[in-house]
Amino acid sequence: MEILWFGILSVLLAGYFALEGFDLGVGLLLPVTPDRDRAIGAIGPFVLANEVWLIAVAGVLFGAFPALEGVLSANYSAVVLLLVSWVIRDAGLWFRRRLLSPGFWEYGIALGSLGICLAWGVILAGLAGFPLLSGLLYGLLIAGLFVLHGRRFLDWRLTGGGTLLVTGALAAVPALVPMIGMAGEVLGNAAPSANLTVLTFMVLPFVPVMAGAQIWVWRAFGKGPVPSYF
Amino acid sequence: MDVLDLARLQFAVTGSLHFLFVVLTLGLAPLVAIMHTRYARTGNALDERMTRFWGQIYVTNYALGIVTGIVMEFQFGLSWSGLSHYAGDVFGAPLALETLIAFFLESTFLGLWIFGWHRLPKWLHLATIWLVTITAYASAFWIMVANSFLQHPAGSVRDGDVLRLDDFSALLTNPSLSMALPHVLSAGLTVGGFVVMGASAYHLFRKTPDQELFSRSLRMGIWTAFVGSMLVVGFGFAQFGPVTSVQPDKFVDKPVAAMALSLMILLGHLLQLAALALVVVVKWAPRWRGLHPLIVLLTPLPFLAAVLGWIAREEGRQPWMIWDRLKVADALTPGLTSGEITFSFIGFVGVLSLLAVADYVLIVRIIRRGPHEIALGERPAPEPVLTY
Repeated sequence: MEILWFGILSVLLAGYFALEGFDLGVGLLLPVTPDRDRAIGAIGPFVLANEVWLIAVAGVLFGAFPALEGVLSANYSAVVLLLVSWVIRDAGLWFRRRLLSPGFWEYGIALGSLGICLAWGVILAGLAGFPLLSGLLYGLLIAGLFVLHGRRFLDWRLTGGGTLLVTGALAAVPALVPMIGMAGEVLGNAAPSANLTVLTFMVLPFVPVMAGAQIWVWRAFGKGPVPSYF
Repeated sequence: MDVLDLARLQFAVTGSLHFLFVVLTLGLAPLVAIMHTRYARTGNALDERMTRFWGQIYVTNYALGIVTGIVMEFQFGLSWSGLSHYAGDVFGAPLALETLIAFFLESTFLGLWIFGWHRLPKWLHLATIWLVTITAYASAFWIMVANSFLQHPAGSVRDGDVLRLDDFSALLTNPSLSMALPHVLSAGLTVGGFVVMGASAYHLFRKTPDQELFSRSLRMGIWTAFVGSMLVVGFGFAQFGPVTSVQPDKFVDKPVAAMALSLMILLGHLLQLAALALVVVVKWAPRWRGLHPLIVLLTPLPFLAAVLGWIAREEGRQPWMIWDRLKVADALTPGLTSGEITFSFIGFVGVLSLLAVADYVLIVRIIRRGPHEIALGERPAPEPVLTY
């Protein structure tokens, strides 16, 4: 049962990197993107469905591996940076067309996306015991992979053709490497099996609904005119 | 202020901000779903405008609900790791279920609803807003299960120096939950009803175009506020029995909790009375201009009552994090420095407060501009030549 939940945690974290990775990559590219409306329009319908993967990661951490919640307070400043950057990125998307000037919020989106990448670098490298500087470099590596993925996404969505699988898999690597490295520790900190059984029975019936909703988003917004809400 | 005070204040401020937006989400979601159902059945332009107008307000409000919620969730790990250390095996379960089987779906379906205009088949698009409503209510359910566990640790047993989950179903039948959940949901309806009423009264008073849209909305708001305020007061009083059976001295010698409670009850009765009076004259209310400014003035009161309700519930829990098991002071993350908590306090409270103000400015602007400039559900402009 622990192995199942470790698998769920890994899939959710890797999925977050592979999916939210292109949103953040497009965010990082905004300052050098000529048609920002179309770039943001392209990611718009995906953002809400992508960012919840991280909220689900936190939920699984609380429910199935509560003893590991200490990783959050152990990386206090980096987690605060992650959250504040995330809030600013989201606010940028919601408010861009509506308050102050679009440019202000576009820089907010870009800076927020950068803050999220750097925070992830520090958190993930910190888990493996690397110091802050290596963490920031790791964050830049993550940002680079996300930019690559974001560019690929815009090509795929706006001009069509090719696949997102290669850059998506690359974007997930920085999350998967520490997860595999820490597998032993994570498994050793699982909640009692009675808890995991309850969670499994409660969640299992919803897995098809969750997967179906995500697939629906891709089918509905993968092609066709670019919407303009954000 | 020391580290503990700052950590508590941070949670209180982000929690109150979160609930201001969540309570309106809970009230507006079913109303927008009903409007959209009407539109799907009639296909009529008035129904479409009404759905898009209130839907735009719903979505704008939702934005702050998400970002404040994200910060809330992670604060448990950042500031209160003593809670997960002591009771993570119990408290973590409802939180995990909230994220996985409620919020994950709510956010995904909301994206489908916002961007699905003119793109999804009519009835499937309608289904998404109902799914958003159902998952929002499911989310409220699991959060209230988690909160009720803090009020009364049902379903758990002591095992050495930690709590273990003993009986999952006891978590769901917690006496602290049974009346509090419908109380919170009907508070949502009350807030939703008063907001719809207030915004409609503004347009009717100003004699803007769309008198018909706002007459209808006013009536819908009055009925919702009536049902909501009757239920919220009823379930509120019904709570006293079960709550004092498990927390006998909840409001004894706790001036803040007791004051918040009595002020909330006062506001509750006032709103109930207002809604009752309005429902009597609901047929004529759209035409009585003298009434409209009064209705507008009432709008902030249900929000105030909702926050006071949480202050009463949570202040009444002090000094316990988990009633009779774990003190708040012992739940604080060990070794949390004042530098760290000050940094996160400025980050979270500062940024979220600014954004909350910005969001309310935006909501007021959407209301004032009325239903003719609504971005939600706009027909897409013709595709330009690809220039990317």
